[in-house]
Amino acid sequence: MGADRAVQDLELFLAERGEPLLRTAVLLAGSKEAGEDLLQAALERLLRHWRKIEGDPEGYLRRTLYHLAADNWRQQRAWRKRLRLLERDAGAAAVDGTAEVDLRDSLVRLLRQLPPRQRAVIVARYWEQLSEAEAAQVLGCSPGTVKSAASRGLRRLRELSESRGPAERAAQGSVREQRS
Amino acid sequence: MNTELEQRLRADMAQATQGMRVPPGLALKAYRHQRKRTMTARAVTAAAAAVLIAGALTVAGVTGVFGRPAGGQQVRATAYVISRVERAMSAPGMTNVIAFTRTVFPPGTTLQAVPGGLEGSSGPVGSSAQGGDYELLWASLHTTKWSVFTPAGQRVFDERITVRNGSITTTVVNYTSHTWWTTRSARPAATGSGSASCVPGGGIRLSGGRSSWPDFVRAQLACGAYTVAGRQAVGGVDALKITGNSGRLTLWVNAATYLPVRLDNGGLQTDFQWQRPTPANLAMLNMPVPAGFRQVPPPA
Repeated sequence: MGADRAVQDLELFLAERGEPLLRTAVLLAGSKEAGEDLLQAALERLLRHWRKIEGDPEGYLRRTLYHLAADNWRQQRAWRKRLRLLERDAGAAAVDGTAEVDLRDSLVRLLRQLPPRQRAVIVARYWEQLSEAEAAQVLGCSPGTVKSAASRGLRRLRELSESRGPAERAAQGSVREQRS
Repeated sequence: MNTELEQRLRADMAQATQGMRVPPGLALKAYRHQRKRTMTARAVTAAAAAVLIAGALTVAGVTGVFGRPAGGQQVRATAYVISRVERAMSAPGMTNVIAFTRTVFPPGTTLQAVPGGLEGSSGPVGSSAQGGDYELLWASLHTTKWSVFTPAGQRVFDERITVRNGSITTTVVNYTSHTWWTTRSARPAATGSGSASCVPGGGIRLSGGRSSWPDFVRAQLACGAYTVAGRQAVGGVDALKITGNSGRLTLWVNAATYLPVRLDNGGLQTDFQWQRPTPANLAMLNMPVPAGFRQVPPPA
């Protein structure tokens, strides 16, 4: 009935625009599994308000992703617990393809160490290339807050990047050599 | 200093999320989870429902008055439309957009990746294992990528074409046979003057890529090959409906930018979206070859 149609429409929408949304969700949440969870949580919210949303649902879904990742996400304890568990698992990953990606994409790994709101600002500004005003609109804060969070986030990323131990850098180098 | 870090960050983010796809059935999973939660919430709040319904009826009575659609849609005069098109064409960033389209093919259509594009043939319904496929297309200035899916959403093949320095490079990844091929050929000489001209039969001919869509709309309306047939909301976009004289083609264009929103070509429907060239959208043009896929020679 109506719900079937909504699910069908949503599947079609995800076939078209799901990929960039998932990639944003993965960056916001910190891992593939957590990103899928985040996207599912946003989809649930979208379905709850399906009838009220006119036109393209992408804007709503994108804003929800950011809000869940930056703010409301903290209130969803079960979801957070699951995410933490997954993060710990990812950290203890054995030598497989995932670990290789983690080492190669070092800045993305360091991004996980930023507080959720700062991370959301970094993703909005440097992945989605939103202006400060656009990012502020998506995140529901002022452009000044976006500016300062982006600046702090970049500074922190630089510090984290520079403080990585030589052993880790060597490991990264060896992985690169293996791949080439 | 920061710029270097930002660039590295972008590159790392693109690399870390490359090739990620939404797991099939995620919408259904979300729906079931949401429904379960709603049922639980309903049971808890059932006692308070009677009070809320009374309030809701009052609200509905008020919004009903304001919610009535405006009567009579205005059809814009062609001359006015042309002047708006000219204004839209001069908007900054007109050429710096990424096109995203979705086309659903009729059952019985067979799509095949060939050097330089796609070939489609139609037969009786059910004659093709790939009948009723749909195709997603992403296009930037030099690169176009198609992805063809079965009606169930299974990826059949990806094809990417890059036009650079007078040559066309085509790369195809076939997910059915787990093979891929690539080939390069010389770019055919460009035809036409570069400005849109009248297409008397009401067809479509773009002289300068996708950025020339508004120019094309203006030229066809000016010469009468297309006429404005009304104004409609298409996928939430306020659009002008314009029809070709042959009656076969109908084009809906965004009333503000004059970029197409939907094209109906004798029942073959293509929906358009125009995206900003953000790293996330540009990443859609990437086409990694999955590990284990075998390289084969391109088709003759």
